[in-house]
Amino acid sequence: LSSLPLQILLYVNGIYYIFYFLATLAMIIYKSQVFSYPDDLLAPDLAVLFLMAILEVPRSYLGFKGNLTEAEAPLGLSLGLTVGSVVLCVYLLLWQTYVLWADVLLNAVLLSAYGLESGLKVMAIAAFVS
Amino acid sequence: PADIRDAAQARVRSAPAPITDVARLCVCDLLVAQCDVNCCCDPDCSAEDFSLFTACSVPVVTGDSQLCSQKAAVYSLDVEANPPERIFKLIDQVNPSIFCIHATNYKQALYLKSPEIPTAENFDQLLDKFGGATFSAEPDSWNLDTDAQNPPEANETSRYEYGAPVQTEDAFLRLPSPVVSSWCSDANPAGFLVNQATKCIRSVSVEKCDSIQALSMLFYINSSILAVPKSSQMVNITVQSIVVQSLNGMRTLLSSSDVLRLPMVLDGLCINAVLGVNYHITHTDTGEIIEAAAAFVLGAISKETLAIEQSFEISFTQENTQPVPLSGNPGYVVGLPVRAGFQPQGYPFPAAFLTNKHSQLTILHSTSTQDCLAAQGARAPVLFGYNMISGCKLRITAAMKCQPLAQTLLDVLKGQSFPEYVASFGNSQAQDVLDWVPITQLLISEQMISHTWQSSCQIPVSLGIEVKWTKYGSLVNPQARIVNVTATITTTTLKQLPSGRERIIPVTSSVVFTDISSPAEPSYKAWPTIDIKLPFDFFYPFV
Repeated sequence: LSSLPLQILLYVNGIYYIFYFLATLAMIIYKSQVFSYPDDLLAPDLAVLFLMAILEVPRSYLGFKGNLTEAEAPLGLSLGLTVGSVVLCVYLLLWQTYVLWADVLLNAVLLSAYGLESGLKVMAIAAFVS
Repeated sequence: PADIRDAAQARVRSAPAPITDVARLCVCDLLVAQCDVNCCCDPDCSAEDFSLFTACSVPVVTGDSQLCSQKAAVYSLDVEANPPERIFKLIDQVNPSIFCIHATNYKQALYLKSPEIPTAENFDQLLDKFGGATFSAEPDSWNLDTDAQNPPEANETSRYEYGAPVQTEDAFLRLPSPVVSSWCSDANPAGFLVNQATKCIRSVSVEKCDSIQALSMLFYINSSILAVPKSSQMVNITVQSIVVQSLNGMRTLLSSSDVLRLPMVLDGLCINAVLGVNYHITHTDTGEIIEAAAAFVLGAISKETLAIEQSFEISFTQENTQPVPLSGNPGYVVGLPVRAGFQPQGYPFPAAFLTNKHSQLTILHSTSTQDCLAAQGARAPVLFGYNMISGCKLRITAAMKCQPLAQTLLDVLKGQSFPEYVASFGNSQAQDVLDWVPITQLLISEQMISHTWQSSCQIPVSLGIEVKWTKYGSLVNPQARIVNVTATITTTTLKQLPSGRERIIPVTSSVVFTDISSPAEPSYKAWPTIDIKLPFDFFYPFV
């Protein structure tokens, strides 16, 4: 059977991610106006954010598909992409040029969501394989 | 002095590290080593000073207020206590905003950038970047402007600049000078505004007298000088005067200097050979040459002479000015003569001073014979900063009378025209009376200890000139200024000699320069006052 908690989490995560992406982008724009943000430091931060957004789409889709079709291959691929997203999220949490308190909150929530999601996916894969 | 300059350079090369500890940072501490009023964080203030304060002008010292949590130094005055005392607390200030900076990986974000200290290497580059009226944070966008600045260089050659070779129609105005050895080299160009005097040796022979070009007047005046470089305006070199020097050294000024005298062989001598040229160039204040004159010294060369010494001089004068040799601008330059003069009658409503080159401060010049009476007239100018001592020996016989001897010695020591005033600065003008320092004259008589005071003969035996000077002006470029000049004449008793005997007494004169500059103190300007005046028709139409 498809994992219901995983499905709920995937759905909520998708919505939260849209909010997260818009909020982080707005904050980067705010930081570049208020603080001294040289171009060679602004570029990596924006690149990481957009890369994470690009990764999120297949990751979410594969997660949905794998869970609904009870197939472990897409779910496994989604798990792999989640690892990449986690790395980028950690970058935005720790190694951004300016880490505001709001940044810390958003990234912490996203990280915990990814962590919970990964755990549920592993359980789902175990359930589907067996 | 060189050591002050070196110390200043060592200080400037490394800027002090920025202070980031809020407990040590004080914005109102403006006066060095003095307590600032109402500045509670000033480390120079003592507890008594704090008890006199009314309020704290700087209550809180923090870092960047955008940070989420940071240290803050809070200063306040406890007026309840007797006497009032200052309270200093170090607290953690928290920014409650959600957009406070939690961390930053860009260290320079929180501090102002330390400016680059100009050194000899990066000065040109810094001047390009910041030397204009405006500069932007992105210097690349101004590259277009720097390209446009290059063409104006063409304008610079429309006038002579200091040191630029004076150009003539074919090459440069030559001032023969010794290069490497003492032989004359004709390839030395005269530099604009560079007053030079050179002496060099030229090999001659009477047979080739009229074929050696450098002996003929024409060689020095035939090419005309360009008024400005690279132009077609010419200035002819006129002959100002001709002095003829005979074989025994006697010089005669010729009355007519418009006849060109070329060298020719006469009676085994080569006459009209150029022994010296003195160029006088008159220029405008925009670097254009308007007049050129040459004064010649012509002489005769005998058959045995294989080489003669030629002397050349060039001097530049600005038009409509009287050239007065300055000894510094404004402070005296070490090695240049001390300028002195007299005050003509009419003090205290003075006319101008009489200063010409001949009324310098001079000192007796020691000669090889060391005889005071034979050496009368040999004087050396007193050069600023050079302590000098000179002297001669006076032979006294029994037949010499006291008073004429004393007067003669005074003349030997002081010279014919001992000045009354000395210029305070190297460029003091004759009409600024306050810029001239009077020479104080002291007379000290050495009485022999064993004799009581008797109206015996006192003859001056030594003249000591003490020049006190001080450093004046800015700390970085102090100018030497003469403050006091004292001439002390020491006399001694002349004992009557038994007839037939003679005595030799030494006569000395000395010049000593003493630096009496007080140590420099940084000084502070007075507080600026606000001076507001309303315009007179401010209350129109009521007034």
